[in-house]
Amino acid sequence: MSALACIGEPISWLRLEQFATTRADAAVASHVEACPACRHCLEEITSDVVALPPLAVPAAKPRRAWWTWAVPAMALAAAAIVLLVVGRRGSENTREEVVVVKGVGEVVLGVVRERGGVIREDVRSFAPGDRWKVVVTCPPAASASVDVAVSEVGGGSAADHPLVPATIACGNRIVIPGAFVITGARRNRICATVTSPGGDRGTACVTIAPE
Amino acid sequence: MDAASDPQAAYRAYGPALVRKAERILRSREDATDVVHALFVDLIPKWNRDVDLPYLYRAITNRCLNVVRDRGTRARLLEREQASAAPVGRVRLEDQVVGVGLIAALAERLDEGHLQVLVCRFVDDMTQEEIAEHLGLSRKTIGKRLDRIRDEVIALRGTEAAS
Repeated sequence: MSALACIGEPISWLRLEQFATTRADAAVASHVEACPACRHCLEEITSDVVALPPLAVPAAKPRRAWWTWAVPAMALAAAAIVLLVVGRRGSENTREEVVVVKGVGEVVLGVVRERGGVIREDVRSFAPGDRWKVVVTCPPAASASVDVAVSEVGGGSAADHPLVPATIACGNRIVIPGAFVITGARRNRICATVTSPGGDRGTACVTIAPE
Repeated sequence: MDAASDPQAAYRAYGPALVRKAERILRSREDATDVVHALFVDLIPKWNRDVDLPYLYRAITNRCLNVVRDRGTRARLLEREQASAAPVGRVRLEDQVVGVGLIAALAERLDEGHLQVLVCRFVDDMTQEEIAEHLGLSRKTIGKRLDRIRDEVIALRGTEAAS
């Protein structure tokens, strides 16, 4: 490790960053003038070029009058109650994006689509050029390893593994590192095999369709 | 336009400084960029005009500590740390430049508050007065936490020497 000794108390990186922008702090200016170590740090800041990825702003959902959603919502709620009463058997969650893994708990798989800088979490359709990320929600105390596989529906058994398997500390909507694109004209299943530290595993999937 | 008046402007104004800060902890530009980008994505829905560089510095510290605590990511970062260029070490902890390995080892022994002080002092090179102001704590508390950090580093070395 290299070391450069400051002539006194080093100027913190935060103050150097602020000084690099404004040049307004006389105390910093005089210290940097006299101190090779802090001058070196300031030069690191001013000579550095950071390539930031574009910051995509999520699409704003249009606001609607309350009654435009309240009436259908009440109708849906009534229908849901009827369904619950009629079909009380099989109370376990059968959604394919949800899986319960021993040692981890309930795991919910989600996907995020980025198209032209717009992020959507509520879509299940793709077009050429879309980038997809995978997010996982599981109980905060747990950890798990996640392996993502993508396969075409009706396209045989071959599956791609576009992301490096990741070990995550559980929480709300944990993003699995990396992103991928989907091509072709068939529906695709994105599946995450979740393995607990004890070796128990389960698979949750979502299906997305071409537009 | 004030840099913090909207997320896009703040991202352009403060993003590079935050990437550099995250890189000093993680020793990886790629991971640092991911952490900063993710922070702004999460901040967009709850953006307010009080967001400034010191606030974002604290937020990035917490994000980076979470990354280091993640065992899977930590292993990858430790590998990269071996290959990365040695950083400038103006403020050293018991003659060590603080990096991923030491933060990870101390994360097993210290709580969040101590780790924040560790990063402020030995990664961000802040003085005790600056740390107290930055974290909204008393100078006395900062001094106590730094003493505890040094004790743990000495204990850690003892453990390593014995094994």
